[in-house]
Amino acid sequence: MLFQPAIIALLLASGIAVAMLAAAAPFAVQVIRQWDIASGSERQLMLERRTYLFSTLAAFVMAVQLVALLLFVFNADRMAEMFVGAMCAVGTLNVNPYGFPALLAQMAVFFLAGAWLALNHVDTRAPDYPLVRIKYALLLILLPALLLSFGLQLKYFLGLKADVITSCCGSLFSGDAKGLAAEVAALKPLPAMVLFYGAIAVSAGLTFLHARTGQVGYAAAAASAAAFVATLVGVLSFISLYLYEHPNHHCPFCILKPEYGHQGYWLYLPLFAATAAGLGVGALQPFRRVPSLREVVPAVSKRLAQAATIGFLLVAAIATAMIAKSNLILIE
Amino acid sequence: MIELKAIRKAFNQGQPNEFWALNGIDLSIEAKKVTVLRGPSGSGKTTLLTIVGCLARPTSGRVRLAEDDISGLPERFLTGIRRSTFGFVFQQFNLVKGLSALENVMLPAFPTGRPHRELRHHAESLLDRLKLAHRREARVEWLSGGEQQRVAIARALVNDPKILIADEPTANLDTALSREFMGILESLNAEGRTVILTSHDPLVVESAAVHRVVSMRDGQLVEN
Repeated sequence: MLFQPAIIALLLASGIAVAMLAAAAPFAVQVIRQWDIASGSERQLMLERRTYLFSTLAAFVMAVQLVALLLFVFNADRMAEMFVGAMCAVGTLNVNPYGFPALLAQMAVFFLAGAWLALNHVDTRAPDYPLVRIKYALLLILLPALLLSFGLQLKYFLGLKADVITSCCGSLFSGDAKGLAAEVAALKPLPAMVLFYGAIAVSAGLTFLHARTGQVGYAAAAASAAAFVATLVGVLSFISLYLYEHPNHHCPFCILKPEYGHQGYWLYLPLFAATAAGLGVGALQPFRRVPSLREVVPAVSKRLAQAATIGFLLVAAIATAMIAKSNLILIE
Repeated sequence: MIELKAIRKAFNQGQPNEFWALNGIDLSIEAKKVTVLRGPSGSGKTTLLTIVGCLARPTSGRVRLAEDDISGLPERFLTGIRRSTFGFVFQQFNLVKGLSALENVMLPAFPTGRPHRELRHHAESLLDRLKLAHRREARVEWLSGGEQQRVAIARALVNDPKILIADEPTANLDTALSREFMGILESLNAEGRTVILTSHDPLVVESAAVHRVVSMRDGQLVEN
């Protein structure tokens, strides 16, 4: 199973990311311990020169991780036909116990990478490397996360056996099943709709407010995270039902399939992008008073907030369009 | 205006052929004056000039320009400073062959996004001032040495820099042209520009246009 192009690409992306960050770790430690912008010593100037290389390297690693999540999900969906019992990505991810943890780890890496890229972006726009220590400390924190993600992916892909009979999404996301996903799926459509549209309205409103005034940065980030969760709840509870035009089919992965016109990507891409942008706003807030970033952080933060607003509004519009064109009636 | 502190510069560091071109330079260069770095070949004057002009970074030490540390700036900021603060006249002129004199003069201003018509007018006025208006459409390889140098000066001035840097500017000129060059420098200095030169030409070093001569040998200042 390992010799699937997508699996090779994912393992390479993950493995190279771990290798690159591991190679950069000694430099990161050196920066954290020895950086002194006031000094003109040979060591300091060497650190300043090398920081370009390492920051570019790390930015590349993080950008690849953003794309890797999309490939991971696409691959899980595409491989469903290889396993008995699998109807969509859920079946593929259920082939062994590492599938869903690997997906969750990749999602965590996606958001962490997004936040790091936002920090790196503002740091490179100031003349005095104001976040260099923080940036490299975060890299050291990201390394175990990437390592975990790589380990889980490796275990998962190595454990993919074609003779395993896996369970389909119906068993995981039906109202009768057990577990958090099933409980969320069993949520009544009306409260889930209120939660979804309410969370989207709050997050779009707060990110819009931040883009206009520069205020409520932390609240906008928190609302973005809440809107992400509320949207996933909404997909499980009612959006998927409208899309499938089936009152008991709650799967959040089947919507990615060609039978449904890959509509899930239209929903998930703006959702993940908007959430990452919203969380990026929060990641930048602690540094808005750093003297050399007083103009940079608000400008970048506002742009991220604008992207988040547009993304969340797109999510709401796409979900509404899915509901509007459906023949299913869930709420009389 | 320009403060150099404990500047050292090594080439091929850590290699068997490691060479320290500068070895502990502490120097203040006054604004709006003409300063000449004098010294024999290999004394480090060109290396020092490239560090002052942000064309190279020191191995250790700091360069301050009007209180701002420019030696540690990230590259994106250095590019802006090089473009707006410094004008360079290189020893071999480094004009782009195949382009006209006017195009060569306009070239460093293209990244600034200045309107083309305005830029062209400015470049033409610079060539006119340097008595090269009649040669503006000529390819640079067709120009004489003195004309090429004046094109190089016009190009150095196109972004209206505060500081003009010239490396051995009279090395390829005869006496008459060298005198003419010093006259141009004098007029630029009179406009309030800082001028920094390297030279071991007595005609330059002893010129009345020069305010200060800094002597160098073996990567160190000999007298200040």
